[in-house]
Amino acid sequence: MEEKTKVITKPKVEVILEEEERKRLKAMPLWRVRLYLAWREIYNNWRLFSENKIGLVGLGIIVFYAIMAIAHPILMKWVWDPNIYDPIIGYSYDEVLQPAPPSLRHPLGTDPLGRDVLSQLMYSTRSEFALGILAAIITVTIGTTIGAVAAYFGGIIDTLLMRLADLIIMLPFVTILIVLSALFKMNLIILAIVIGILSGFGGTGIVIKAQALTIKVRAYIEAAKVSGGSNWHIIFRHIIPNLMPLSFLYMMFSVTSAIFSEAVLSFFGLLNIRMSWGLMIHTAQTAGYLLNPRTWWLIVPAGLSITLLCSAFYLVGRALDEIVNPRLRKR
Amino acid sequence: MLRYILRRLGQIVITLFIFLTLVYFLLEAQPGDYAQTFLSNPKLTKEQREALKAQFGLDRPLWERYLRYMSSLFRGNLGISFEYYPRPVVSIIAERAPRTILLFLTAQILSFLLGFSAGKVLAWKRGQTFEYVLTIGGVTLYTVFTPWFGLMMIWIFAYILHLFPVGKFVTPTLWRGAPVDANYVFIRILLSAFVASLVLFLVLLATRRLNLALRRGLRGAGILIILAGLLAYWLPSGITRYALDILYHLILPVMTLTLINFAGMMLLTRNSMLETMREDFVMAARAKGLPEGVIRDKHVARNAMLPVITSFIFSIAFVLDGGVITETVFSWPGMGLTLLEAALSQDIPMVMGGLVFTGILALLGHLVADITYAYLDPRIRYT
Amino acid sequence: MAESILRIENFTMHYITKAGEVSAVDNVDLEIRKGESLGLVGESGCGKTSLAISIMKLLPENAVIKGGHIYFDGTDLVPLSEDEMRRFRWRRISMIFQAAMNSLNPVYKVSDQIIEAMETHFGNIDYSEAREKVANLFRLVGLDPKFMDQYPHEYSGGMRQRAVIAMALACEPDLIIADEPTTALDVIVQDNILRELKALQEKLGTTMIYISHDIAVIAEVSHRIGIMYAGKLVELASSEEIFHHPIHPYTAGLMSAFPSIVGPKRELATIPGEPPDLLNPPSGCRFHPRCQYATKICREEEPEFKDYGSGHMASCWNPLGG
Repeated sequence: MEEKTKVITKPKVEVILEEEERKRLKAMPLWRVRLYLAWREIYNNWRLFSENKIGLVGLGIIVFYAIMAIAHPILMKWVWDPNIYDPIIGYSYDEVLQPAPPSLRHPLGTDPLGRDVLSQLMYSTRSEFALGILAAIITVTIGTTIGAVAAYFGGIIDTLLMRLADLIIMLPFVTILIVLSALFKMNLIILAIVIGILSGFGGTGIVIKAQALTIKVRAYIEAAKVSGGSNWHIIFRHIIPNLMPLSFLYMMFSVTSAIFSEAVLSFFGLLNIRMSWGLMIHTAQTAGYLLNPRTWWLIVPAGLSITLLCSAFYLVGRALDEIVNPRLRKR
Repeated sequence: MLRYILRRLGQIVITLFIFLTLVYFLLEAQPGDYAQTFLSNPKLTKEQREALKAQFGLDRPLWERYLRYMSSLFRGNLGISFEYYPRPVVSIIAERAPRTILLFLTAQILSFLLGFSAGKVLAWKRGQTFEYVLTIGGVTLYTVFTPWFGLMMIWIFAYILHLFPVGKFVTPTLWRGAPVDANYVFIRILLSAFVASLVLFLVLLATRRLNLALRRGLRGAGILIILAGLLAYWLPSGITRYALDILYHLILPVMTLTLINFAGMMLLTRNSMLETMREDFVMAARAKGLPEGVIRDKHVARNAMLPVITSFIFSIAFVLDGGVITETVFSWPGMGLTLLEAALSQDIPMVMGGLVFTGILALLGHLVADITYAYLDPRIRYT
Repeated sequence: MAESILRIENFTMHYITKAGEVSAVDNVDLEIRKGESLGLVGESGCGKTSLAISIMKLLPENAVIKGGHIYFDGTDLVPLSEDEMRRFRWRRISMIFQAAMNSLNPVYKVSDQIIEAMETHFGNIDYSEAREKVANLFRLVGLDPKFMDQYPHEYSGGMRQRAVIAMALACEPDLIIADEPTTALDVIVQDNILRELKALQEKLGTTMIYISHDIAVIAEVSHRIGIMYAGKLVELASSEEIFHHPIHPYTAGLMSAFPSIVGPKRELATIPGEPPDLLNPPSGCRFHPRCQYATKICREEEPEFKDYGSGHMASCWNPLGG
């Protein structure tokens, strides 16, 4: 009676090596080889990525906002007086009329409740990043698994998953979020999870499945099957690692979508959070300053930031797209 | 072709069914049960509450409630709004829906036409800097924060330039003492637009086979007849200035919604054109000695159009979303704004009604776009 | 002696690429008589397709004509503008493309695509008259006219090829260029189509240029054969002469690279080496790195393309057979 032998295969990722490199690597312990290969991948991809000016612009914007996010607690601790500059409970005693226009003390002015706008902007950056990245990770985890499973098993599982995805992408995302927020009170974490789950079962799965189909037919998958690898083993150790570049790419688009959705929901006042860019605009609206161009600082910095950060991730995604899909590269 | 349409229709019906079922379970999944939520409307009296309980079978088991819910849905009963009690949800939808449909359709069609034409023409222009500027500009428009963009539009065009009204969809002073209400005018605008488009479409279809001169002549004549027909209907009706007022208020929201969607369409068309131009049949078309314009439109664009239409199908959901935001910013009283207000005031029946409406609209839009795609790409009809 | 319908004189064409200028066609001299069929043979990248599209001036953006003339029925096509070329395209010179599937627009009916060509060149043709013509063309190439209104993807490979041939004949051109007309087909269909093409050509008296890398195909259908290598025309003679008395070593190599069913078993002779990089073509005779007969002069000077008797042209410093 034949037993299924336990197969210990490493994730087979396709790597092309030069002759001399191969010789050198043969002398190294395995972990060092892996490290070296990983570093090489990253370095080469960075070279490709930096050829694309658009991607660099996006990356630049992201770095700019990341610095803002890091700078805020530093400023709060050492430079700014928390009583005045706290983004949520501060009050600018040093201004007579709220909301106050931009000045040296308050570079972006203050909001109707007397809080410094710049401080609010910087403080929210943190939660925007957190929300975006959390939602993106969830989306991509679910989407990749679904794509791989649907591609590998095919048949009824595939049909069911794809039909579900079809349904989800047909429906307007923000509208569904609005409905959900009416039924359940959502804070940032819950929102991130909800966005993650909804997007994960939607379009991402379809795209990743297409890629997974091309991987499924490659020789090393056959080899793994023949040497007795179980289905789940093949999916998780072979197919998914090769889907990583595409997944990473889609993370960028997920971040864009997540930040945008959160901003819209906060703008509508449907979220249970204390401070975010969308909420800043909402505050302006409830205080009646929304349609007044004279108090532009209440709206422009927040709106601009949302736009910039969303487009930044999108541009990076576009640039990565050219790396992952080589046929898109400029000839 | 017909078989394809029927098959798609069948699929959409099944999807609709699944959608409505999911909506129902969403209701059930709410913290606190559905029964309580519905009955928690503070405006109900005790007797009304008991009556409703019995009517909706709220004390019956799950599967029975589900069946009742589905059957009442199909009979057009979406419940009674909390906020606007005792108006039923369907009547509110009937009132607000035409406004959303007008906004949505106009913006969707305009953004497609403009985006496609722009992308088509711009594909002929190349150059590194040009492409960077175009991409970055396009992406910015595409990812711009919609409420902010809408506000900018209002600031620029309404406040600074005083070109357009600030919001809402009618000028109250004009309408005081009007013989008819806004909805009456609205339905008529929608209907005449629909009829005009239909006639135009038929004219275009019928004149396809003819040679160039005759085709242009007949189409020109057709357009003139349509315009004459429209004038003949509207001028003597006496409600023209009300219709014009509505259209005047429509311009800025439509512009906003169109601009946001236009960029994506344009970039995609341009890329698609560039890809298609490399195909062999384009070289074959050149070899046949066809003029440049014909090659661009009949051969390249017609094929490049296909992926664009696919993306158009997906963009329906985005335009609907954008519509909700635009309606809010411009106080355009359509279904989007209604849905939002219902969500804010916890008017659950209205929220669910809005969701059902949006879902049906999205699915319908999908169906139409799918059929259009099948018409344009003969290869898909047999899958 | 029939008059010449196409005379290519000293024609040179380069592609401008990021890496540099690629010398795709270099100083080609060629003359084709009315009603004759000429085959152009060579490896991939030898310039035969480039030459073909140059005749119709269907050059891509990065291609530039460096010099020479292409006289078609007396008119030099090289200096003509796009507008002027359009009068010649399809009406006087048409083309049968490689991989017919791709040269048919997938979203239009086949009949419509042929009618389009007719309407462009015969401006006042009536629609039903055009359809009649299409039906006739179909019958001519062996297709049942009932398939006329179908879409390209509904045809089989052989049918598509025939449709493309029908389309090439639509405007009754004087010259047809067939670029690898059967490469994408299986052998049996290939055989049929070649035979029909040959019969058509004889029946209509159209001049044809066949392009292929497959010398067996060319031998079946051509009166004369031209051998191209690395952008240069190295030999030009009747099929008989090419097969039995090749002059250029490359030609001889092509002949022996061919397995034969008849005759004794022998080892498959190949031509050693690889086609040259046309960014920096070899000095002198471009074939010299791979030629077993190469001598000093072959490395230094380009041989003249001259007549070795009764129109058998070749360019070689060490011609075979003396």
